[in-house]
Amino acid sequence: MSRARVGVLVFPGTNSEDETLRACRAAGLDARLVHWNAELDAVRALDAYVLPGGFAYEDRVRAGAIAAHDRLMLAVKEGAAAGKLVLGICNGAQILLESGLAPGLDGEVRPQAGFAKNAPLGKFRSTHVYVKLAAAPPRCAITASLPPDAVLPAWASHCEGRLAAQPATLERIAREGHVTFVYCDARGEATPGAVPNGSALGAAGLTNRAGNVLALMPHPERDGWTFMHHDARREAARGATAAMLAPSGGIALFESLARALS
Amino acid sequence: MTAQLAVEVVLTIPDNEAETALATLARLGVPLGGLERADLYRFEIELVEIEPVEREALLAALRSLETIYNPNKHALRVRAEPAPQPGELWVDEIHPAAAAARGPVRIAGRTLGGVRAVERFTAWRVVDAEGRPAAAEVVALAAETLLCNPAFQRSQRV
Repeated sequence: MSRARVGVLVFPGTNSEDETLRACRAAGLDARLVHWNAELDAVRALDAYVLPGGFAYEDRVRAGAIAAHDRLMLAVKEGAAAGKLVLGICNGAQILLESGLAPGLDGEVRPQAGFAKNAPLGKFRSTHVYVKLAAAPPRCAITASLPPDAVLPAWASHCEGRLAAQPATLERIAREGHVTFVYCDARGEATPGAVPNGSALGAAGLTNRAGNVLALMPHPERDGWTFMHHDARREAARGATAAMLAPSGGIALFESLARALS
Repeated sequence: MTAQLAVEVVLTIPDNEAETALATLARLGVPLGGLERADLYRFEIELVEIEPVEREALLAALRSLETIYNPNKHALRVRAEPAPQPGELWVDEIHPAAAAARGPVRIAGRTLGGVRAVERFTAWRVVDAEGRPAAAEVVALAAETLLCNPAFQRSQRV
């Protein structure tokens, strides 16, 4: 049986495609880069899509707004409607919200929320974070193989990462289980201080109604191995190649994606 | 009593962002002839009428702020009216800290006397094929299609 084929989409300005591709392949996925000028039929033939981080189209108009209307997104929207798995990380997550693929209340594909400028200062932040599963793992197919309350390390690296929506929309996002990940501390406690950007509901990731689309703001692929990690584990591993190359936690999300596709 | 003063900062070099937005809107079927963009600051000042000296102090402060104004590529203009004109769309972000931001405003490290609040907008100027201000329904369509995400932004237009 052939492996599922995953496209890591590259728009002009995407900058995290290589580490995302590496994380996908490390998890056993048959992944390849797909550039914005690829033949749409070839894109449609893929089994899943990962939208990596960066500054697609230089974040012109709004982060993710132009890429949300890119021709590649025709294939992604068709695929999502057909149940294919779609994972967006950072700028990819912004694109998914701008395209309306998440949160997709009532199954509608139109912008219902967005990732706005960080609060309180509205400035870019690059900081190590942890995220914790906030819904039962099967709520989202991409997280289905993670343990309940799984805590993943990641790097937040964005200026627009604050989940924002009208109050009634936020209430439904929470009530209908669209919040897949919340920010937390290293022990898994979801405290206000763990939220790096003022995100509503403390949300780091949202899924759609069907659970086949996941928009995740921080980068788990940037904490896939110990040499990328933040705490004492990396210091303890200095000088020991095998320890430095040991998985550090972020790769678990890609392994769960791989299981969902197997 | 307060008065409002609107100041816009526009690029004097080609605006790639406006070009990209125009091309995207055209591809999505919104009938535009052109699109211009400006960073717009609307000040609320504790005066019934803004004295020239206050206005000049404010403009000098803005010109000294290199993060918003670069004399090599920007022009800074005082608007005749502190509100959108025909063909214009002003977009700003709904921010939870916005209400708390009211109070003495500091620009370039200085508290400007009498300035009680400042709002920042992206001002889009939409024109038709003849270069006239676009019809209100076209401006609304451009906002809805691309220029404003109502989930966390507000738009003002005529």
